[in-house]
Amino acid sequence: MSSSKSSQPDYVTLVSGDGFEFVIPRSTACVSGTIRRMLDPSSRFSEAISGRCVLENISGVVLEKVCEYFCYNEKNKHQAHVPDMDIPPELCLELLMAADYLDT
Amino acid sequence: MAMRARQKIRAPRRGPTAGKTDDFEKYWGDLSTSLKKIHTKDASDISFELLYRNAYGIVLANRGPDLYERTKALEKEWLDGEVKAQVTAAITSSLLLAREQVDVQDQANERREAGERFLAAIKEAWEDHQLCMGMITDVLMYMDRVLAEHRKPPIYVAAMALFRDHVLRSTIRSDSETTVYSVLESTVLFMIQLERSGHIIDRPLIRHCIYMLEGLYETITEEESTKLYLTVFEPAFLEASRKFYQAEGRRLLETGDAATFCNIATERLREEIERCADTISPSTESKIKDILDNELIRNNLKEVISLEGTGVKNMLDNDRIDVLQSLYVLSARVDDKKAPLTAAVQKRIVEMGKEINASAIAAAQASTLGVGKKPEPGEKKPAEKEKPVNQQTVAAIKWVDDILALKQKFDNIWMKAFKSDQVMQGAISSSFAEFINLGQGSSDSRSSEYLSLFFDENLKKGIKGKTDIEVDALLENGITLLRYVKDKDMFEAYYKKHLSRRLLMKRSVSMDAERQMISKMKMEVGNQFTQRLEAMFKDMTISEDLTSSYKQHVRQASDPDQKKVELDINVLTSTMWPMEIMSNVKSDKVQLACIFPKEIESVKQSFEQFYLGKHNGRKLSWQASMGTADIRATFQRSNGKTQRHELNVSTYAMMILMLFNDVPAGESLTYTDIQAQTRIPDHDLGRNLLSLAVAPKTRVLKKDPMSKDVNPTDRFFFNHDFQSPFMKVRIGVVSGSANKVENQDQRKETEKKMSEERGASIEAAIVRIMKQRKTLIHSQLMTEVLTQLSARFTPDVNMIKKRIESLIDREYLERVEEDPPTYGYVA
Repeated sequence: MSSSKSSQPDYVTLVSGDGFEFVIPRSTACVSGTIRRMLDPSSRFSEAISGRCVLENISGVVLEKVCEYFCYNEKNKHQAHVPDMDIPPELCLELLMAADYLDT
Repeated sequence: MAMRARQKIRAPRRGPTAGKTDDFEKYWGDLSTSLKKIHTKDASDISFELLYRNAYGIVLANRGPDLYERTKALEKEWLDGEVKAQVTAAITSSLLLAREQVDVQDQANERREAGERFLAAIKEAWEDHQLCMGMITDVLMYMDRVLAEHRKPPIYVAAMALFRDHVLRSTIRSDSETTVYSVLESTVLFMIQLERSGHIIDRPLIRHCIYMLEGLYETITEEESTKLYLTVFEPAFLEASRKFYQAEGRRLLETGDAATFCNIATERLREEIERCADTISPSTESKIKDILDNELIRNNLKEVISLEGTGVKNMLDNDRIDVLQSLYVLSARVDDKKAPLTAAVQKRIVEMGKEINASAIAAAQASTLGVGKKPEPGEKKPAEKEKPVNQQTVAAIKWVDDILALKQKFDNIWMKAFKSDQVMQGAISSSFAEFINLGQGSSDSRSSEYLSLFFDENLKKGIKGKTDIEVDALLENGITLLRYVKDKDMFEAYYKKHLSRRLLMKRSVSMDAERQMISKMKMEVGNQFTQRLEAMFKDMTISEDLTSSYKQHVRQASDPDQKKVELDINVLTSTMWPMEIMSNVKSDKVQLACIFPKEIESVKQSFEQFYLGKHNGRKLSWQASMGTADIRATFQRSNGKTQRHELNVSTYAMMILMLFNDVPAGESLTYTDIQAQTRIPDHDLGRNLLSLAVAPKTRVLKKDPMSKDVNPTDRFFFNHDFQSPFMKVRIGVVSGSANKVENQDQRKETEKKMSEERGASIEAAIVRIMKQRKTLIHSQLMTEVLTQLSARFTPDVNMIKKRIESLIDREYLERVEEDPPTYGYVA
């Protein structure tokens, strides 16, 4: 699953702009291109070292949905017929922006 | 995403950057500081998220292109300043001065150390650049994504191009033309040069520098073919290699040892392949191999092969299988046909073959002095000749053995060194054929005769006590040589002659082996070839039946008191057996039939009666020259005792001895007397008398005067004091009964006969072809005749022409047209 190099913990923490923290498996978080690069061990940014990503411009509500999507994506990535994910319409624009930001 | 209608959509929160262009400078300020920190490897307290958010913001504010340009400028500044300084610092004077040859050892060492430092610096700069640009690209990912629509290359690519232009292609000092790259190139080539001359270098280091060149492109589109490695370094490397191997080739040739050349060339090939794998790029392997093939191998191979003393000749002579093999492998690299090697091998085979020929002829000629002339009466010392004649036969057999040994040797080489190569096999075979058939038609060539003698000798004596397998191998060997003999009709003639002697004199050890031999020849040369030989065997079998039925007939019909003469008869079909045995004609004189003693004459007549009673209309002619007889002789010793011996003699000798039955003791017969009473041909009479009266162990007759020649005036007595430790005495006829090498006259005779026979074959072929084609152009006719006859012999073109003329004269053919000359068939 996650790149199981001993130095790298299997879980990472995502922090929303308003302070919510989400601890999810690394591989799941890496669905996002941005987060993946952020955590890339070869680049020695502070996120890669601490395993903690603070996403200033995403709110907790949205980030929760994002994390849900990450898990949903991870779970279903090898399946052909996947049920749609439930998206609250009021979040969809913000989610779109987050998706663009996170390169998901 | 599914969306339900009529629900309130929350407006997204405005990002902090949206639309505010004045924030650009602030964001860029933050960004550029961080980017510099990345370059100085001080990124651990920078938040990726922050940088990313900043870049994201800038791009959202439509300042993406500005960000791109600023970043590029930042990179350029960084490379121009820090990186270049770092790299050029590692360039020392020793790297610059010695673009030329470095022969001084310590200078080379110094340069090498400096080179390694420099390469290490380049490698580090490159790897840092790659790493940092990786990070920066990640941060600016969003920018790349957006700007991709503006047809801008990703920032990473742009930055790599910057590295190429501002580090590699920058001049090392402002006042010099030399670029960092040129120093890099010369250093790498220098290192390779060092390794080629046997030093150990830091391969991984060079490999990394090559990686860099492989990672950089001439153009921003990064096409595969525009890699710096391919456009700049590889040509330089190949050129340097070309020069090196040209020199290497010259140097090796000067050393003048072919084996060394082969070893080194093979070693070099291996080295270069290894170098491509470990030090430079595997993609160069085929190109550097081409260079080696061309410069080192192809250009020098010919000379190496012909090197005096160590070339192919020497290798072949000393069975240097290993060297030959590497030479073969090298040749095979540059030339499918391996022409120079093949030619050298062929030349050597022919040389060695000629030596064998020459030594056989020398051995033969050493003895021809004694046997050159027929032992006519009155000629000098014919008694000496028996030994030399044998020697000649031995020479013939030695010739075959030598050739077989040679063949064995080359087969071995071919298998082990030439990997059973088809082309080589053909070449070797054709060379064997070449020297075996050398001088065909002239009296020098005796291959057909020698080969037949070889079979003769083996079938008579050689295979005694050998297993079937050995016999088979032996015959197989002979057949191999037969394959090379072009004029198979010549061989057939000799073989027939030798075979007939074996059959008639019952000298063959094993009839099975004889049959085996025939079937082998049939497989090799074809049905037509063995037809007559088989007919000879058939005659022998029929004769056996005939003899036994005749014996039965005699037993029934004869009066018991008649002196019994037992008759073993061989009735031979005259067309199938060799002519010189059949004919009574010697030297064109018609010889009267000889007079048999009356006892024999009666048996002869009785058999004739018997035979003609069975087969009406046939004509029997008696060949006394081919027969043998067992006679019981009684010797009255002077001390009164009598001694009996059984003598096995030729028919002629029997006839001579029978004469002495009627001669009172002490009386003599002269040569002329004997001749008058028997009408034995001169030649045969002389020989028989020699063996009866002169040959030391079988002197049944005494001769007066006692000399080694037989003269017409000589007188012969029956030798009652004949002594022999054996009861049965075999008296061979001097020369002729055994199969030996022909002397010049016999040879001429054989050749004459051969050419007559060939003439007939040619005519037959011409008529066959013309009958089918009706009209044919001269050249076509020639070709067809040649192909038809090539299995048996190589016809002489002039002979064919003559035969055509003769056929025209005899009105089998006519000239239809003059230009081109065309013939028509006259029915």
